[in-house]
Amino acid sequence: MAGLPTVNRGSGGIPSGPQRGRSRPMVSVGVFRGRARLPIYLLMLPGALIYLVLGIVPSVATAVISLTNYTGVPGIPANFVGIQNYVQAFSIDWPGVAGSIVDTLVFGIAVTVVQNVLALLLAEMLRRRMPGVAFFRALIFLPAVLGVTVVGLIWALIFNPSGGPAANLLHVFHATSAFFGSNTWALPLVIFVQVWSSLGFTVLVYLSGMNAIPGEMYEAAQLDGGSSWNVFRFVTFPMIAPSMTVDVLLAAVGSLNVYNLIYVLTDGLYHTNTLGMFMFNSAFQGSGDLGFGATLSMILFLITLLVALPLQKYLRKREARVL
Amino acid sequence: MNKMRIAGAVLTSLIVGGLGVTASGFRTPVATQTLKIITWVNPPAVAVLKQINAEFHKKYPNVNVVFQTAADRSGPYATLESTTIRGNTVDIMGTGPIQPLPAHPTTSNMSNEQLWGTHGLYVPLNSQPWVKAFSPKINATEMYQGKLEGLVTGTYTQGVFYNKAVFAKYHLTVPRTYNAFIALCKRLKSHGVTPLFDGLQDVGPAYLGFIYEPLMQEVWRPHVLGGNLNKALSTGSARWTSPYFVKVMQREKTIMQYLEPNFQGVPWQSMPGDFASGKAAMLLDGSWDLAAVHTANPKMKVGFFPLPGSNHPAYNVPFVAGDLTWVVLHNAPNKVAAYKWLNFFSSPKIYQQYVNAVGITPSRLGGTYHSFAQSVMGPWFGKGVNAAQVFPDLPASGPYWDQSSNWPKLQLEMYQGTYTPKKVASMYQQGWPTVIK
Repeated sequence: MAGLPTVNRGSGGIPSGPQRGRSRPMVSVGVFRGRARLPIYLLMLPGALIYLVLGIVPSVATAVISLTNYTGVPGIPANFVGIQNYVQAFSIDWPGVAGSIVDTLVFGIAVTVVQNVLALLLAEMLRRRMPGVAFFRALIFLPAVLGVTVVGLIWALIFNPSGGPAANLLHVFHATSAFFGSNTWALPLVIFVQVWSSLGFTVLVYLSGMNAIPGEMYEAAQLDGGSSWNVFRFVTFPMIAPSMTVDVLLAAVGSLNVYNLIYVLTDGLYHTNTLGMFMFNSAFQGSGDLGFGATLSMILFLITLLVALPLQKYLRKREARVL
Repeated sequence: MNKMRIAGAVLTSLIVGGLGVTASGFRTPVATQTLKIITWVNPPAVAVLKQINAEFHKKYPNVNVVFQTAADRSGPYATLESTTIRGNTVDIMGTGPIQPLPAHPTTSNMSNEQLWGTHGLYVPLNSQPWVKAFSPKINATEMYQGKLEGLVTGTYTQGVFYNKAVFAKYHLTVPRTYNAFIALCKRLKSHGVTPLFDGLQDVGPAYLGFIYEPLMQEVWRPHVLGGNLNKALSTGSARWTSPYFVKVMQREKTIMQYLEPNFQGVPWQSMPGDFASGKAAMLLDGSWDLAAVHTANPKMKVGFFPLPGSNHPAYNVPFVAGDLTWVVLHNAPNKVAAYKWLNFFSSPKIYQQYVNAVGITPSRLGGTYHSFAQSVMGPWFGKGVNAAQVFPDLPASGPYWDQSSNWPKLQLEMYQGTYTPKKVASMYQQGWPTVIK
């Protein structure tokens, strides 16, 4: 790859990543003294209050509810049961919880990887000026505006083994499948639908990252005789590191917590019972056991944290390294 | 100037219209009320209830009925129920009967309906004018400590609905025993005809109940002292490891081999239409779906027989259970309108309209009914062994296998070969002592 330009940190003018922080004039609260700080705090107050009420309070409440047998049903008392729900999750319910953790991780990893790889490829194709590109961009983004139930129903109809289009297609090859009712295919199909429905947004973020790359860099790369692959590898890919951080983190955290699409497609059957689905069924659909549902939420929260924090650290480091 | 006049006239007419001026002068404006009713989706029931609501609004113009439904009683509707019960926005909720309660009811061994009914979340309806018009036996299934907790609209029947034309074509007769039933299925299959149809996608595994539940009552229940398997299991005199339960599952597995291909992925919602379009010779279903079959193919001649699980013909009778039950919620914002609606619903003409459309056995005394289900099921209509005598009604989910969220999944895994029937029986029994202690 001799001859391709190295990325110059100071000259790119790319409004992203750590550079963005350095190029902006920083205003420290420390500049203001005494009463001068008051307007700053007052301006912060509404946002902080909203975050406290809608973010922190429910989170703390979930942790507290996980230590009770709360059902939320008027007239049925809630008692503090200590760690009983956690004991239940790791003893009598452990086979179900362990299976759910496996389903959650498989789903999360597959969605994050497939969604980002596909989005990256599509974004690379769609960033070029060619006829009909606006149409294809709109087409790819279209599923992102559809509701989860609509998406679920569309694919449930397509994969209906009793006369759906996919069944008819398989029939041509003398094959059949239960699709969303198959232990083998339900999870891959749910992953496919999740990727299909979220792909548009992921592509959009990559596209915006690619559009921010200065044209001179591509021109320089071309002058140096870089092939398309090398231009992508040494120019595009490093320069969209901040977009990748956003896309990977959103896909990972979003897919670990997903339950609504699975609820519509399989109701958590056939190895698709992710922790989010298990939690929803325990808290709302079955016995209304909010205490146990909150316990599963806490386990899910912990797993999400264990995945998201190192991932974020790695991606941020990567950003700093490549930009 | 003309524009001003027109504007004035419009304004005056709006004000006058709003105040409700009649020929006799001004009348006091009547406040409109909202009555909110929720129930699960059963297409014929939803259609007729919409008509009934329109007629109710005609009679009580100041009451606007907001009618909300959610699909499947063990799926999204269960979510709607459990969120509704925590709030105070719904007046009438469709649910199921609460009896029989466990021998020692606790919060962990009662179904949701039982829990709500026994904790004062429903308004007692004993003093309502319609109560005496309904069967005391049916009312007893919704009674707790002398309080009538709801209006049980009727009883549904489960069994096998068959396409008479297909049976005639292959010279088949209605099977009376399990062996005859399997022989019939084999024969149909040899002619390239799918014998049975039962959609089990997503929440559909609960529809395995069309096989599992009759087998429980025909294979196991007759061998329990007093014929009440529910009671025997609840008191511990019967155990899940019984060889009869193992036999139930072995036969269930055999019958499932004759279902349509890939039945696990076939949506339960399309079952009546699929059967009506000739995709199988028989449909495993409840009487509530017959109206949908008839709508999909009015020319189709349909017959009925109870699923023959036993080789003793006398044991093979339909599985019946209490259907939609209306309850007025304790937190209902408009109880007065709710009482009016229930009274309207239970009036002879309106109730007859409902029963004829839905195809249930009426719980109201007297009256003449003509439903498609009645004509198909003939003498079996509403006759059979009640679900309450078959197995305990536990909370929908939790750590025990005999819970409505759990058993269908396990039975499906048993069919797929993950567990043997004997292993499943021991799994059911494990932990059962804590349910009945």
